[in-house]
Amino acid sequence: MTELSKIRNFSIIAHIDHGKSTLADRLLEECDAIDQRIRAEQLLDSMELEKERGITIKATAATLSYTADDGETYALNLIDTPGHVDFNYEVSRSLAACEGAILVVDASQGVEAQTLANTYLAIDAGLEVLPVINKIDLPSARPAEVKAEIEDIIGLPAEDSPEISAKNGINIHSVLEMIVRDVPAPAGNRDAPLQALIFDSQYDAYRGVIVYVRIKEGTIRAGQDIKMMATGAVYKVVEVGTMSPAGLIPADALGAGEVGYITASIKTVADTQVGDTITTVENPAAEPLPGYRPVQPMVFSGVYPADGAKYQDLREALEKLKLNDASMTYELESSIALGFGFRCGFLGLLHMEIIQERLEREYNLDLITTAPNVVYRVTKNNGEVLMVDNPLDYPDPMEIQLAEEPFVKVNLMAPQEYVGNIMDLATSRRGEFKDMVYLDANRVELHYEMPLNEIIYDFFDALKSRTRGYGSLDYELIGYRPSRLVKLDILLNGDVVDALSFILFADNAYPRARKICEKLKENIPRAQFEIPVQAAIGGKIIARETIKALRKDVLAKCYGGDITRKKKLLEKQKEGKKRMRTFGTVAVPSEAFMAVLKLDED
Amino acid sequence: MALLSRKNKTPLGIYIHVPFCRSKCQYCDFYSLTTKEDSLHDGYLDAVCSHIKEAGALAPNYLVDTIYFGGGTPSFFGAEGMAAILTVIRKSFDVARDAEITFEANPDSVSDRLLRRLRSEGFNRVSLGIQCDNDDILKKLGRPHSYAQAVNAVKRIRKMGFKNLSLDLMYGLPGQSLQAWEHTLQNVLKLQPEHISCYGLKVEEGTPLYEYQDCCNLADDDTQADMYLSAIEILRQHGYRQYEISNFCRKGHVSRHNLKYWNGGEYLGFGPDASSDFGGRRFAIIRDLQGYIAGIRSGGQVLREVQEVPPRERAGEYLMMRLRTVSGLDPKEYEKRYLLPFGPLQKALEKHKEQGLAVKTFDGRWHLTPNGFLVSNSIISDLLLIQEKCKPIARRR
Repeated sequence: MTELSKIRNFSIIAHIDHGKSTLADRLLEECDAIDQRIRAEQLLDSMELEKERGITIKATAATLSYTADDGETYALNLIDTPGHVDFNYEVSRSLAACEGAILVVDASQGVEAQTLANTYLAIDAGLEVLPVINKIDLPSARPAEVKAEIEDIIGLPAEDSPEISAKNGINIHSVLEMIVRDVPAPAGNRDAPLQALIFDSQYDAYRGVIVYVRIKEGTIRAGQDIKMMATGAVYKVVEVGTMSPAGLIPADALGAGEVGYITASIKTVADTQVGDTITTVENPAAEPLPGYRPVQPMVFSGVYPADGAKYQDLREALEKLKLNDASMTYELESSIALGFGFRCGFLGLLHMEIIQERLEREYNLDLITTAPNVVYRVTKNNGEVLMVDNPLDYPDPMEIQLAEEPFVKVNLMAPQEYVGNIMDLATSRRGEFKDMVYLDANRVELHYEMPLNEIIYDFFDALKSRTRGYGSLDYELIGYRPSRLVKLDILLNGDVVDALSFILFADNAYPRARKICEKLKENIPRAQFEIPVQAAIGGKIIARETIKALRKDVLAKCYGGDITRKKKLLEKQKEGKKRMRTFGTVAVPSEAFMAVLKLDED
Repeated sequence: MALLSRKNKTPLGIYIHVPFCRSKCQYCDFYSLTTKEDSLHDGYLDAVCSHIKEAGALAPNYLVDTIYFGGGTPSFFGAEGMAAILTVIRKSFDVARDAEITFEANPDSVSDRLLRRLRSEGFNRVSLGIQCDNDDILKKLGRPHSYAQAVNAVKRIRKMGFKNLSLDLMYGLPGQSLQAWEHTLQNVLKLQPEHISCYGLKVEEGTPLYEYQDCCNLADDDTQADMYLSAIEILRQHGYRQYEISNFCRKGHVSRHNLKYWNGGEYLGFGPDASSDFGGRRFAIIRDLQGYIAGIRSGGQVLREVQEVPPRERAGEYLMMRLRTVSGLDPKEYEKRYLLPFGPLQKALEKHKEQGLAVKTFDGRWHLTPNGFLVSNSIISDLLLIQEKCKPIARRR
């Protein structure tokens, strides 16, 4: 075990693209933690998708051994955090495992909404926040102004902040020295009852779940019986150790102040909830560490195999993903239109997209996804309260006494010239303006309260396009409010396609219904008969399009014996039909579902 | 060479692809060259003849009952060459006495001399490409002849004693109205052919027409569909029975050769880009005349694809090809031949029947209606999808 005074636990926080992962790599390199020859770019972000999107989805950690200018060798525990609003809770738990945070700010972009959000999370967690100005070698860098911004907006002293370039390895050493000097050493009593904070976990096919922990109090060692304080699950510790960038290094014990891993033959990450506290069965802590919150998916959507026969494959894929992602939920659902599938819960839209992409890529599945929705709270006339996460379960309007939808507090930040655009956007999404704060001469932060439902589709993209990429966003749930909600049904050739139904705000129903009908008309191929496409609320049709009957689809000339070519053509057509689902009499390609989801793009 | 008695031999069709034309039509994507170079014409003749000899030696148990010279424009290639090829076929294969022997011709290249010569060689069927009765449209299509020339050609074909004449027509041509198309049909009917083919114009990638299709006033799908239905009706009124999507004839004059393609008969093709279905395999010759000539000379490779067709795929072909014909599918034959259940297909066909796209005959066969033919790709691909999911019928012990 490392002496408390020789330990520094820190994380790096930043806005997307401000260079967090690159800096992490440089720190690892500087400490010779990685053999340079085998170094892959951005080591901590190990998922392929993360690399592509340039964001961190899962937090990871590593212990660096650093010999500082004072001649002492320190254990620097770097705890990486996810970088998206969908994962705010995960960020807060990672931060709770640290005493300090390096705030990376882009020398030309300056402070952005997410920088602020994460900084406040860090400050709330009682962390020493140490700004670092990155990308100083860019021609557009304005380090002095950005330092002033940090002092004005965030209120952190930044005068002496290191000016670095993570990409080109400039001044990395000064960051390490700053960590040793300014991040407080952890406190804690290694003889006290065990309190270990779970900040992440990962499923490994051979060892079961590897739980990443920060020991707050006490000591943990192999052979001990441990208990998860929130879930109550009990295990026997198989191994403890520390994480090096090269792999896991077993140790005899982990003591207060240290960051490391535990394995205990745990079968699924659902049993090791982020934020939960581990204690020993023999000498349990009086109470768990504060801040635990069970994960709560905010966005739900139906996920179905495009080919109904692949249902089992989808089930297995979800089971495997779930092993490693406790924040996703799924349960069996069946739709008249799509057959068997799953209603999946996600932290947000990004999380949803990531899961879908992983299912399609890693498990080679073609999926049909229904429109995402939030969880509505419906009070029926008989007093019964329902939490509705599936439009299929939405009660008949006659039975509803009160319908409520979740609201969020949204912080929007952008240069002031975009204020008008942002206000237009927020208003069009039913945003209720709260106030506006000038962060400095040029930048403003606007506060709105709006329905979560309005944010989950494409709000972030719309914000980016209306602020030429400068706008940033952060939101948190503030509770349920009464709302005028309706369930919109889509009918193809007179039959309701349940998988296309969704719940929305009544005033949005007409324009939305019209758009959906148009999109479906574009995306459903002409059939051998005419197909009416209708949108209805209750029994009332509010929009209609007609797909004309297919008149001609024939190979006039089949001749000269060249049958192979014609065969290929028909085979191709047949394969195309496999990607379609038949609803009553109408075949709908999976692209049509996608088109309905991407309604707001034009 | 008759090792088996003729009764026990397998029928075989022979297709000769003649890849020469006077000029290229704007819509045509068949393999054909406008070269007049003697070396290529001679080289082609030698290659085809050698190729036929080689193949003939491998097919002693077949009886050739149809021969078809297509192209290209066989009449442009000339009577001498065609006669020579036919002679080699007769020497290398067992050719039935009543074999149907067809050549394709264009009105501008059927001289009396050519007709007389081919008649005397035993050709007994002519397929004349006239396409339409409007000279402006013919010109736009790049056809090297007028309608008057076509009428004249028909007269001379008759005069030389050909009793089986087929005329090729096209609809959905640039600037062609429904009325103009009906007018073409009425005019052509006066020529009293035994057989008529009506092809909807299809714009193929790689043709000149493909490049300017948007600015030549082509009929839309709805108009093409109307033209098609109107042709079926007019021809029916004049005693022409539809027997395939695009083919009509007077009693007893189906194209026996083309029927082989649709009924799953065997055929061998010679010349560049010709296709074969022979001995359980489908293969096609390269689309390159010089490569073909060189390949045959040196004993090298001239095939571009060879495909063993497994029974399951044959079952798909059966649906694909039979549904092009008016005699259609025979459920009993289908089940017996491919050991697949017809029930699931029947269920789908019943639905098409309700929509007026398919018909069940009194003896239990299924075929498409004119409206069904129009959307046959869509119907066939539906059926293929159903067929793919069918499990084989267990053999009875």
